[in-house]
Amino acid sequence: MSLLVYAGASQFIAVEMILKGITWFPIVLTTFFINLRHLLMSSTFSLFFNKNSLRALGLLSAQLTDESFAVAMSDTSKISNRPIYLLGLHMTSHLAWISGSVGGAFFGSLIDHREYGLPFALPALFICLLMIQTKSPLHFGIMVIAGVSSLFFKWAFPGNWYILLATLLASGIGVIVKPKAQRSKVKGERG
Amino acid sequence: MKQENLLLIFGMAIVTFIPRFIPMAFLSRRNIPEKVKVGLEYIPVAILSTIVFPILFFDEGGTFGIQPQFLLSAIPVFAFAWKTRNLWGSVIIGMVIYWSLGFVL
Repeated sequence: MSLLVYAGASQFIAVEMILKGITWFPIVLTTFFINLRHLLMSSTFSLFFNKNSLRALGLLSAQLTDESFAVAMSDTSKISNRPIYLLGLHMTSHLAWISGSVGGAFFGSLIDHREYGLPFALPALFICLLMIQTKSPLHFGIMVIAGVSSLFFKWAFPGNWYILLATLLASGIGVIVKPKAQRSKVKGERG
Repeated sequence: MKQENLLLIFGMAIVTFIPRFIPMAFLSRRNIPEKVKVGLEYIPVAILSTIVFPILFFDEGGTFGIQPQFLLSAIPVFAFAWKTRNLWGSVIIGMVIYWSLGFVL
């Protein structure tokens, strides 16, 4: 499954649903909704790959994940119209994911996944990737808006809608605020 | 049962691929208005924030409430990551603090 369905959260939920005896269709539907957040990441990637064939884009987008997106965006000069670089990044992380899945299947029972700070490994990684993306006071503001509103949306709506809703809200506010922030900056420099 | 598994895996593979591919395929082929570009520029920071914050304020069952062990580990990692932007360092420091807090809390 890790080979063809490269999607962590969906895989975990699928396993839970399989154990509950739920049939394939609801699981596929759930997967679809969980993965809708990749619409936004894929849109962002499109800015950097405007000279590639559809076939190449298909290859690149197939392995898009939260983690590889965040790593790729932390230094966009490396990915801009360099599909091979992104493919290398994707292949490395996908290979790690597959070997981790196989390793976990064989040896997973040997250690307790709650031990040794393991629950915090991924959050710590995401926090660092978040800090790398926080490039200006405006970015910081958007981070706070997205974070706080994601808490509200997660509380108010079922499933994973909070990621999509909070991201759209916060970056929408960013679009509205940015020209104003720039104008006041220009004014400040003149004065 | 076998066919059911095939349907499941291929179905999941297809619906995983669609949202990853469609925007990249279509948006890369047309001129994007400046406003949308500005919005896209903020998506990484916004989306990462929506991934991080709920981890600190929701438990595994999805109930709202401060997660002290996560929150207390997160604060020093935020500071360290802000200063150094070092991925491995952040992960190791975060795990050590989280693990140590397990004995105290």
